[in-house]
Amino acid sequence: MMPVEITKDEILAVYPKVAQTMADALGCDVEQVALNVPLIEGLGAESIDFLDIVFRLERAFKVKIPRGKIVEDARGDLPEAEFERKGYLTEVGLQRLRDYLSEAPADRIRLPMKVADIPRLFTPETFCKVVVRALRAVQGAEH
Amino acid sequence: MADRFSAFSFVDRITALEPGRRALGRFAVPAGLSEFSTCLVAEAVGQLAAWVAMAQAEFRRRPVAALSGETRIVGEAAPGGILDLGVEIESCDSDAVAFGGWARLADTPVLELRRCVGPMLPLEDFDAPEAVRGDFETLCGPGARPGRFPGIAEPDLALIDRVPGRRLRAAISVPVSAPFFADHFPRRPVFPATLLLAAQIRLALRLAGETVPPGARLRLARMADVKMRSFILPGQAVEIETAMRSTADGAADLTLAAMVDGKRVATGRVEIVPQGPA
Repeated sequence: MMPVEITKDEILAVYPKVAQTMADALGCDVEQVALNVPLIEGLGAESIDFLDIVFRLERAFKVKIPRGKIVEDARGDLPEAEFERKGYLTEVGLQRLRDYLSEAPADRIRLPMKVADIPRLFTPETFCKVVVRALRAVQGAEH
Repeated sequence: MADRFSAFSFVDRITALEPGRRALGRFAVPAGLSEFSTCLVAEAVGQLAAWVAMAQAEFRRRPVAALSGETRIVGEAAPGGILDLGVEIESCDSDAVAFGGWARLADTPVLELRRCVGPMLPLEDFDAPEAVRGDFETLCGPGARPGRFPGIAEPDLALIDRVPGRRLRAAISVPVSAPFFADHFPRRPVFPATLLLAAQIRLALRLAGETVPPGARLRLARMADVKMRSFILPGQAVEIETAMRSTADGAADLTLAAMVDGKRVATGRVEIVPQGPA
């Protein structure tokens, strides 16, 4: 099942609150946050910051974001053994990641790629999409 | 092994438990101590949450201190008093536990913690899981022997830079060995985040003291966005820094940071206010 595409309008609707959340979690000015700045290389985020960001987004948007959700969502219905082997993405896994993280520059998603390095691709836009999906799940559950 | 489950353990009994959801506990602050810092009270609440999380994870994983959204400090825990502790677990899975909690001394609030998050790591890296399970059963049953905490010598602060009223930087001497390392943690000694915080608060009080009239007494009212980015190991050289963000009506808002080898290992903010009637 391919996820329903997320529109730019949906992303921009949640972006201001996401950007403020990133700034609060990373202790930087909101002006330093841009939609496509890599969180690790651009804003110095570490793994503990991602945990912080996820919990802050949950509280800010009143949604549930299970940990590890981004990689899991990117894999979708693909069996884990076909997505990665010994910690490295397969060709099919790489394509799944490209489709899912469509905001990441294509030349940054190429083989060999470690699953552990996927967070290096994360930007505020990645988290905007996580929030949009989580909000859709809440609205879906209400209907 | 005498220091295990005593030199840095601040829950004597778990008096009520709703697995994975909430718990009440108790800690008798030993009467012989000269003081029991606010940070250790916060540690006690965090430890109660850790017991709930470890039991929920069937003693395969344990949380470590990482994020504390907000702590409001309204009272003190005088030696000889009995601390009542409570925690509410917001969520707990194999990756992280999120919780809030409180501490009271004879029905008088001491502090309240909100929006705390601890990543869950393999318990066996830190301690023998079966021994921890046994300790938990002791806490839920007869309770541990009270009065076993011997007190802690606060690390010395050596000032290395000072901009009056604006910024202070100091080196702290993390001991190479200390009884608390045998308890925190038996298989992997780590300098407790709350002891680092206690040192940072001492420095912040000193800086805030430069901005008030001589003789005015100050107290810590609030800690916010405290984040531990990595473990501090025995004997490691740590520099701590505090900077004034703003002052208003005698209250000072300061930032905290700790560095090891030039890398930021901890950050946070504190609010310091004049002591007196609330």
